[in-house]
Amino acid sequence: MKILVPVKRVPDPELKANIKDGKLDLSGAQWVVNTFDEYAVEAALRLTENADEGSRDGEVVVVTIGPDDAAVQLRSCLAMGADRAIHVASEDANLDSLLVAKTLKAVYDEEKPDMVLLGKQAVDGDTNQVGQMLAALLNLPQATFAASIELADDGKACVVSREVDAGVEFKKLPLPAVVTVDLRIVSPTSITNGITPESHEYADGPRYASLKGIMKAKKKPMDNKTMADLGVSGSPVVKELEVTLPEARAAGQIVESVEELVKKLSEEAKAL
Amino acid sequence: MSQNINRYRCDLRDLQFLLFEQFGLQEILGKGKHADWGQEEVNMVLSEVYKWVCDVTGPINESADRVGCKFENGEVKTPAGFKEAWKSLYEAGWRGLGVDEKYGGQGGPSTLALTANEMMSGANTAFNMYPGLTQGAAEVIEHFGTDEQKKTFCKNLYTGVWSGTMCLTEPHAGSDVGAATTKAVKLDDGRYKIEGTKIFISCGQHDITDNIIHMVLARTPGAAAGTKGLSLFIVPRESVDGSGYNNVVCASIEHKMGINASSTCVLNFGEGGDCIGELVGTVEGVGMKQMFLLMNFARIGVGTQGLGVAAAAYQSALEYAKERLQGPHMKNFKNPEAPKVPIIEHADVRRMLLEMKGRTEGIRALVVKLGMHADKVDILEDGDQKTYEKGQLDLLVPLVKAYGSDQAYEVATTAIQVYGGAGYLQDHPVEQHCRDAKIFSIYEGTNHIQALDLVGRQLGQRGGANFQAFLKDIGAFVAKNSENETLGKHVKELGQAAQSLGATAMRFLGWFQGGKAQLVPLSANIFLKMMSTTAISWLLLEQAIIAEGKLAELAEHDSDRAFYEGKRYSAIHYAGLELGQVLNNAKYLGEENQAPMEISTASF
Repeated sequence: MKILVPVKRVPDPELKANIKDGKLDLSGAQWVVNTFDEYAVEAALRLTENADEGSRDGEVVVVTIGPDDAAVQLRSCLAMGADRAIHVASEDANLDSLLVAKTLKAVYDEEKPDMVLLGKQAVDGDTNQVGQMLAALLNLPQATFAASIELADDGKACVVSREVDAGVEFKKLPLPAVVTVDLRIVSPTSITNGITPESHEYADGPRYASLKGIMKAKKKPMDNKTMADLGVSGSPVVKELEVTLPEARAAGQIVESVEELVKKLSEEAKAL
Repeated sequence: MSQNINRYRCDLRDLQFLLFEQFGLQEILGKGKHADWGQEEVNMVLSEVYKWVCDVTGPINESADRVGCKFENGEVKTPAGFKEAWKSLYEAGWRGLGVDEKYGGQGGPSTLALTANEMMSGANTAFNMYPGLTQGAAEVIEHFGTDEQKKTFCKNLYTGVWSGTMCLTEPHAGSDVGAATTKAVKLDDGRYKIEGTKIFISCGQHDITDNIIHMVLARTPGAAAGTKGLSLFIVPRESVDGSGYNNVVCASIEHKMGINASSTCVLNFGEGGDCIGELVGTVEGVGMKQMFLLMNFARIGVGTQGLGVAAAAYQSALEYAKERLQGPHMKNFKNPEAPKVPIIEHADVRRMLLEMKGRTEGIRALVVKLGMHADKVDILEDGDQKTYEKGQLDLLVPLVKAYGSDQAYEVATTAIQVYGGAGYLQDHPVEQHCRDAKIFSIYEGTNHIQALDLVGRQLGQRGGANFQAFLKDIGAFVAKNSENETLGKHVKELGQAAQSLGATAMRFLGWFQGGKAQLVPLSANIFLKMMSTTAISWLLLEQAIIAEGKLAELAEHDSDRAFYEGKRYSAIHYAGLELGQVLNNAKYLGEENQAPMEISTASF
């Protein structure tokens, strides 16, 4: 089982965003792996290991498209346990979802993995497009917002559950396929791979890079490529015009009675 | 009502600055003992430890404080989440940072282990005591134990299978540890029967690990009185040969002002049956010497604990001051309609914050300096350089422990002051920091014991050569930088402070030799503070000079400028406040004021 996990670096979502001259000011940003991509790395590791014995059974390849510094985030995925990394050099400003999807398609064609597993969206742009575009470009089956993944015994298909408004939807996909993950994919029993005993319960959440993992990460291979190496060219079709903060909310009003509330809702807010 | 929310924040940028820009950690990486280590690994460890504490121990700091430890039927129940945090800690391996590979560690630099420890202490100081003492116990056995003892205990302690404690204090033997009466009687098989009561034993009983390995100071029959007659014993709660319970009874736990989640126990050894221990190593009567290694480790740990809590309190106060709106800006003070500003706009709040910033960064610099000396002792071959490094390490231990712990409390109370009334409430984290921090100046040798250690032992080591080397280092810095355009004034004052520090040290010698020994304990704490503030002023001024160099290279809008500007102001404010006091204190001590001894007890 070989799994390709595309990851994106994002500014630490816990820190305040600064806006300067109509643009996000990222000069002092702390960069981290996109939360949902980190979940995808965790899910990929769980799919390719025997957690009770602590042994690996398969390969997890992480790939990112970004500037030189993005190697730091790839190293932290390697420290979590991924086996190798591919770094495609590019500046964020020169990318949009479609270009990213095209680049990932080129990586897929070289790597021929059994599955592409990625976050449902990045927590900076929140576009929620790359997984879907990639599946379309590759003409592969896709399942988005995965809450659990169960690998078939023969390893040739998987059943993905997704939480939808009406309940939980189950989809069976032949492999290879593209799967994007939601937050419940890191619940204690969300992954079944036929190797780790079903009784095994993981800790909730993605695993931490361990000290041993950090020391091993340096020795794991990281390929450096350019988009030209992969035969991808073009410029973004989506352009960022301006970034502004949402308008501050006006102060609320305290009303005396239900009648007054209804009146205001109907006449002032025109909500009724 | 407390919720599991992490409130801990750490200034990783300052840690990186200290390691790589001021103290040159990179020079000892990538070779010898640290061949596998590079700057990238160090940075990754810092950010991953930070992430880990924010996710795992930070969120249970407040809830654990409110619930505390529970004592029922001789068993101690630790707060919710502690067992899981312990498991997660040893899986992640952070406790193995500085530990030898043969015991499951990664052989990294001690300096890095200390900076990681700052974060672990800052996020949850009570939790961090369990692994901290465990590591201390392991180190003593690694240094002084027999091969068999190392094999039996070290790996299990270093990897968190078992936990450890240090048992010195008895009901009548606190600071006067030589009064200890716990007995150790040798049996035919070479082991010892241990009998006695120890009190104030941190983490002495708990439900986190299946076994607890106590390091117990006890007296063999006929041994000399005082500390010379003490030997050190390994006393497991459960016998490690599988013979079962070893009769270590937890009689009660204390109810304390702070560190509520650390169980502080009364332990009765040998109550209700034989309690069997084994001598550390093979020689009786060297227990105090062996325990000193553990105490040294623990003293550095307490100073780092102080640093962690001080830094956490500063970060909390800073965040609050930026958000809390109150009062108009001073220039609009007569206009009641003027917009309210964040309290960080007010002069006195800025003064308090800058004072906290300087002190926190100052203790941090002292801790990292100590760590670097320890690392060099560790990797250098015997010789003059190693002697120098060891000498500086020894000198800094009482400073880090005592000044670090005193300032932790000061910074935490100042943090409450920044919050105002809100800070006094349990809704905010700073009152807990203050309660937690108070013990730091008391345990592991009170700060007066540290001061006596400094003036009574360390100043005179190697005929005073360690202290002279310390002054010489400052002198070299002063000579090089006293003409600095913006900082020269402070650098010159540092030179004067160092001189008066040297002169005061000579007075101590005179008092010892001239029949005025009673002046020594009266003056020791003041001297320790003088030496600490001189050292910190030096290190902060050095930072400011490094920062000036970086500022000259950085582009006008580079976001790192604010950090370096901050370094300059930390130094200017701290040195400006403290160096003058060193001179004043030197003058005061020169007057040989004995009022506390002259006043009769009735006149108090």
